Amino acid sequence: MKRVSVSLVQQALLILLSLVSLYPLWFAVQTALKTPQAYALDPSGLPRAPTLDNFLSLFDVMPFARWTLNSIVVSFVSVAAATLIAVLAAYAIVFGRFLGQRVFFNLNIALMALPPVALLVPLFTLMVQVGLINTLPSVTLVYAVLLIPFSVFFLVNFFRELPLELIEAATIDGASHMRILFRIVMPLSVATTATLVIVNAIWVWNELLFALVFLQNNSQRTLMAGLTLFQGRYSTNEPLVMAGAFLSILPLVILYLASQSFFVRGMTAGIGK
Amino acid sequence: MHAERGFRRLCGFAVRDGTDRLTTITHRLRGARMRTFSNRTTRPRFRAGGLLALVAVLFAGSLITACPDSARAQNAATASGQAYAGKITYWFWGESDIPGIDKWMSSMVSAYEKLHPKVTINLVPQASDTLIGAFRLAAQSRSGPDIDTQWATLPTLTPYWDKAAVAISDYVPASETSQWLETSENAEGGKIVAMPIYLIGVPLVWNKQLFKEAGLDPNTPPKTWDAFLADCAVLKAHGITPFGMGNKDGYFGAWMFAIYLTQELNSLDEIKGAIGNTGSFSMTQFDGLLRNLYTMMQTLVQKGYLNSDVASLDLNQGWQLFPQKKAAMAFTTDGNVLSWGKALGEENIGVAEPPKWGHGKLADSYDVTQSSDEFITSWAPNKAAAAAFLVWLHDPANMKALYAETGAFPADERFPVASITDPLAQQLYQLDTAKTSIWLENYLPPQVDNDADLPAGQLITSKSGSPDQAVEIWNRVIQKWRVQQIPEYRQYRKWAGGNG
Amino acid sequence: MRLSLLRLRRHKDFVGPERRLQRRRTIGRRLWPYLFVTPAALAIAAGFLYPLAKVVWFSFYSGSLGALTYVGTANYTGLWQDPVFFQSVLNNLKLLTTVPIMTILALLIALILNAQIRGWRQYRAIVFFPYILPATAIGLVFGYLLERNGVLNTQLRHWQLGWMAKDWLGSAADVVPAIGGVIIWQQLGFGVVVFAAALLAVPQELVEAAKLDGANGWQIQRAILIPYIRRTIEFFVVVEAITVLSSIFTYVYVLTKGGPAEASSVMEYYIFENGFENGAIGVASAAVVVLLVLACVLIGFYLRLRASGADTGR
Repeated sequence: MKRVSVSLVQQALLILLSLVSLYPLWFAVQTALKTPQAYALDPSGLPRAPTLDNFLSLFDVMPFARWTLNSIVVSFVSVAAATLIAVLAAYAIVFGRFLGQRVFFNLNIALMALPPVALLVPLFTLMVQVGLINTLPSVTLVYAVLLIPFSVFFLVNFFRELPLELIEAATIDGASHMRILFRIVMPLSVATTATLVIVNAIWVWNELLFALVFLQNNSQRTLMAGLTLFQGRYSTNEPLVMAGAFLSILPLVILYLASQSFFVRGMTAGIGK
Repeated sequence: MHAERGFRRLCGFAVRDGTDRLTTITHRLRGARMRTFSNRTTRPRFRAGGLLALVAVLFAGSLITACPDSARAQNAATASGQAYAGKITYWFWGESDIPGIDKWMSSMVSAYEKLHPKVTINLVPQASDTLIGAFRLAAQSRSGPDIDTQWATLPTLTPYWDKAAVAISDYVPASETSQWLETSENAEGGKIVAMPIYLIGVPLVWNKQLFKEAGLDPNTPPKTWDAFLADCAVLKAHGITPFGMGNKDGYFGAWMFAIYLTQELNSLDEIKGAIGNTGSFSMTQFDGLLRNLYTMMQTLVQKGYLNSDVASLDLNQGWQLFPQKKAAMAFTTDGNVLSWGKALGEENIGVAEPPKWGHGKLADSYDVTQSSDEFITSWAPNKAAAAAFLVWLHDPANMKALYAETGAFPADERFPVASITDPLAQQLYQLDTAKTSIWLENYLPPQVDNDADLPAGQLITSKSGSPDQAVEIWNRVIQKWRVQQIPEYRQYRKWAGGNG
Repeated sequence: MRLSLLRLRRHKDFVGPERRLQRRRTIGRRLWPYLFVTPAALAIAAGFLYPLAKVVWFSFYSGSLGALTYVGTANYTGLWQDPVFFQSVLNNLKLLTTVPIMTILALLIALILNAQIRGWRQYRAIVFFPYILPATAIGLVFGYLLERNGVLNTQLRHWQLGWMAKDWLGSAADVVPAIGGVIIWQQLGFGVVVFAAALLAVPQELVEAAKLDGANGWQIQRAILIPYIRRTIEFFVVVEAITVLSSIFTYVYVLTKGGPAEASSVMEYYIFENGFENGAIGVASAAVVVLLVLACVLIGFYLRLRASGADTGR
């Protein structure tokens, strides 16, 4: 009897928690489906006459499609570059031997915890000097670099768990390390690398500070930087702003729903048992 | 090519287009003369008679002013809009002053692109709360828009001092600039830095229905401060929010500063003297005026005459209360008055000067400004093309279209006043043009505006500080600005000392 | 900090030192590791080390780009005299109190989930979801929800809880707690997932043995589960502390822009405002140096945890 009531309380708590977790997203969706007039009359109610106009006018009033494309390109390129660089370095750290190996790996660990804002001013001036400011390559480069320490750390930990015999056998067979890495190690690391790529891509997609400072040209903004401009400009049109916010979340929602179990499994796999 | 550029640098003026050359020369000269012999910034009128005499000192003048801005003159002769090829990026702001101007501007851009197929104009609407910051950021990297919009006077002059902007009068003939209104707001060293598009005043607007509901005379706006407070009390007693504004972004406070601190001043030299520390008006005196202002604002807050959510709404959001009939009065721009007139019915709203509160000589001025000012950036590759487009916006037909779309008054002599037929608009036009026009916020360096003017007002409306603390913010920020922005401070002093 | 969960990987399963020595002998000293590591080393040098040196250098200069003058320690004394900077540091410290709150909450939820009640996987997925969302979009949504007459307060008043309705983003007293609330809302799920996974790894025999000894649920949790995942908790606390100290710019920028009257400014926002909106990169750099000094304490903790938990050296 007591058991049942305890579990009921627990269920109630968790349901409440789930509602709190999801309500803001729901609020964005339902507001985006209202007209501004309907929102003004009843901000929290269900949309009585849902409309998709807000989503359509997003693309009219601001270059939303362009911003989305920019975010996709920046995420893709920076994550690909960081992953490639990190894979090489992690392989060398685990299977090779070089001067400063320990220092280098520890440096990566320390830099993982470094506040990105510390790099903002000097990287801004650097980008001005090399003429990349206000271009997508500027943030792409910065993101790629910022992702490296964590990626190296993550991959090193995984590579260390690979069966050593495989690598040794291949070395004795005379395979080059490039070949071993891409023919043997990487195929074994697909799931891990995919997890890393997703985690990094989400970080890039969500990043605001660098995008805000580095990209002042409207066609060169990422979605997040564009959203803040949008907010200031259309703050009195709540449904439109919510439509923009929701669209920026949508890819993540889809990704999460499509691979939710993989997501959580991939994440928690890192904790060890 | 290199030789040619070098020559231009040396001489400082263009030898290209015969027709407009004289203008160019005169402008160059005026700049030179003003800088060398005088630091008055009131814009002298173009006089053809003086031309020859001026030509005589031209060469010397351009040598003295030397190279930095001389290269700019190269394109000066081309305001008539020849066929250019290229892209012009235009950071534009105006919609929150006068709803509808974005639409007008887009239609202008497409029309212009049709007229000049080789020109593309990339129009980027800006937000109020990042307007200054975004451009300052871009200016640091010496890249960004070809044309930018800033508010008048200091927000426009500081980029010019910083050499991020060029004077538009270097690229536009005086025959054209003389048609623009209120250019003195952006005059510096005998040049005009930016082009106005419209004039905008900020009246008190009141809802006649709500006045009637509260038993007030719907046709008598409060003229004095006592009358205003009395009306507020009556409205509040009837459960009506007397005054609806938004100050989360700090702009209601900035407006109170612009409208009411002006009324405490005897002349603009006082604020310039205090901030520029020129000795003509002490900071202590200025503090006293500020303290009065914030005490007055605090009273409004404490008595509950402002909407309860004034601190959690941006200015634009706070404005929504009036057309939603949730507030009986507000300060807003001409453009919004007209659009609210459409929403509520023109017969249901009235406009008047803000109730008088201060006792200075300037208390009899009116808060009107050209507000949105367009200037060309120093890094714009084709300044002449940018100038040509801006000048084209002032084409009488286009100005008429602006009026038709927004109801805002074009800042152009050529706009026929007779075409204002709407009674509400006529009233607004009268307010805008009857008195000396001042928008005091424009006399603050952007950093002081951003770090003192906005937070000090927020402190009061969020009930988190006293008027004394608000004044303290001003002192601290002005001090910090003087130490941190030494070149800008020097320029400001110069400007403050020399301007009547 | 980005999805830092992965950093919590433990290292006890790694091959022992003798085997690694062996491996070293087999593969030997060659040139290739240098080639492999060069791109990463160059990127780190250009993207981290050079900027860090530069930011220290900038902190002794004044003026805008291209026109810098040496001013000694004037920028630091300027910070010392600027109450807005103190307010910003103080707000960061205030926000650090969100860390114990979210840790305890996440732990409680994880313990409930650990009982494997019906639907616990779904709950876990739902609670984790906010964590992956962009803080920008979150900020936009909460900006409207938290207005004085916004949805949250309207609802509170509706439930006769009007006394709880505050001017969340408009009052100096409530704005920092409000931002803290949004941070907890978003970061909580991360803790839940981390703790739930750690709890799953607790050997079942331990729990069974305790039950046989007559321990009740609470005792089991206190005496066995929590001590068992202590290191995970420590990691979470340090990682979140670093996050709250140095990666919450987006919340502040989108929710309040530091207002009202700088009451919600944090160090990152101070750096942004001074360095970019006011163009005083020297002041911003000095603030960065101060931030780094403060962060160093936490980073030190973090490295110590790493070093004791993971065999990082070779």
